Amino acid sequence: MIDTIREIETPEGISLRLRAAGALPRAQAWTLDMLVRLLVLFIAAIPLSLFGVGGNGLVLLLTFALMWAYPVFCEVWWHGQTPGKRALGLRVVNADGTPVTWLPSVVRNLLRVVDILPGVYGVGLVSTLVDPYARRLGDIVAGTLVIHASELPAGEQMPAMDAIALPVVLAVDEQAALVEFAERAGQLTLQRQEELANLLTPLTGLRDTAAIRRLVAQANWLLGRA
Amino acid sequence: MKQERFVAMHVREWDNLQSWLSALERQPRRTLRQEQSLDFPSAYRRLCHHLALARGRGYSHEVTDRLQRLVQQGHLVLYRPPAPRWHVTATFLVAGFPRLVRSQWRCILAAAVLFYVPALVTLALMLLRPELAHTVFTSAQLADFEKMYDPSNPHIGRSSGTDLQMFGFYVMNNVGIAFRTFASGLLFGVGAVYVLGANGVLIGGVAGHLTAIGYGGPFWRFVVAHSAFELSALVIAGGAGLRLGMTLLAPGRQRRGPALVAAGWIGAQLALGAFAMLLVAAFIEAYWSSIAALSDAVKFGSGALLWMLVLGWLWRGGRARSHGA
Repeated sequence: MIDTIREIETPEGISLRLRAAGALPRAQAWTLDMLVRLLVLFIAAIPLSLFGVGGNGLVLLLTFALMWAYPVFCEVWWHGQTPGKRALGLRVVNADGTPVTWLPSVVRNLLRVVDILPGVYGVGLVSTLVDPYARRLGDIVAGTLVIHASELPAGEQMPAMDAIALPVVLAVDEQAALVEFAERAGQLTLQRQEELANLLTPLTGLRDTAAIRRLVAQANWLLGRA
Repeated sequence: MKQERFVAMHVREWDNLQSWLSALERQPRRTLRQEQSLDFPSAYRRLCHHLALARGRGYSHEVTDRLQRLVQQGHLVLYRPPAPRWHVTATFLVAGFPRLVRSQWRCILAAAVLFYVPALVTLALMLLRPELAHTVFTSAQLADFEKMYDPSNPHIGRSSGTDLQMFGFYVMNNVGIAFRTFASGLLFGVGAVYVLGANGVLIGGVAGHLTAIGYGGPFWRFVVAHSAFELSALVIAGGAGLRLGMTLLAPGRQRRGPALVAAGWIGAQLALGAFAMLLVAAFIEAYWSSIAALSDAVKFGSGALLWMLVLGWLWRGGRARSHGA
């Protein structure tokens, strides 16, 4: 429940990592969408009122379209994003990570009727809290998922340093651990870096700051830097 | 192979793909016409291969994260939904929808019973004991109905408003009811049962009351034409809702999750078909049903024709192509 990442294997044998979006950003996106819709209705109602009583009919048709069709058309045409979702960096995808298609989008938006039920999205809130991927009932029935589309901030780059060869051959996961240490060292306090580097004294034969420098140099060698 | 060499070998290809993908986001049509887009599927698959290699060789996050991001962007482009085609919509309305309705006949028959039985019972009760109208409706509602169907009203079925206004109102109101009937079926079917029954009592009550007080003529002349589409669509939407609720209660030889997804898929198609039917119904109701000046023969003749059309369409539509297509 804490890990909201859903891994999906694609036909190419690669796993996609989809980060499921929780209730709060989705509620914010919904509020934004609501404001957009009210604004459109308000602006359109002014010229339509010139048509007299018949204009009321057009206003009702517009209300209908904004209420039922707006989310479906936005999601399908804008790669799973309504304006509100785009502003919050959210995206609706099918369960296999592909952009949402017509029928799933219709299902998830029609079933808002149930999710919205007691008060404002009571059922939907409970469902997003219980489901491991924070899906509301409409998402579960439609087989869709709301994910964070914005990219994670890129991690620290490894500091460049003159490479020093490793004295022994390390296994692949050990190499990966060494490279990750060198990449993340910048985010740790000096004391923590030293504490970790001192675990590898048998490998480096050094302690404290010298050990850190040696490990980073060896990581540079692993990446093949000169 | 060391990471640096791997990156040096492929970084240009990754940069190219990245710039093509971001150009696609800005100007989709123009970018898709470029020659490079022909190469995209194979470039994407090479990229997947690179990511797998980078993962397997334990390269740093600098490389794997970048490739992962690119793959994720590319996946959305390669597996994007096909552009909608009009003939698919037309085929669905003419053949696919009636076929779907027939394949779900159990739920739809149940919905029809849940709607028509309360309607007919209320209608009969109103005719036998007209004073019951006051227990179902308030006197303000009764006065409104009586005004709408007053035989001296030139526009039957409404107390005020133009055709266009009423069209908007009918779309908003009736399609909303149909969609809610479908969706509320997810509450173990209770919602759909309630909406169907309540609408049955309401419609049967109005019909019975107006017939009892002698306004039956205008009322039946008004409803006979559009009711073919409107009531059938309501019953179909209710059937879709019942199907959803039944799947939740008794998913059969499937887990609830996949069973619900399948039921939602069918339900959405039924709801979309009902939506199309209700658009037609609203059009007829606003522009044809409200004309009071036509003779009974024209009114009831067109009504019978529409009922036969709807029932025939649902019964036979798409039958010839059931093995092909």
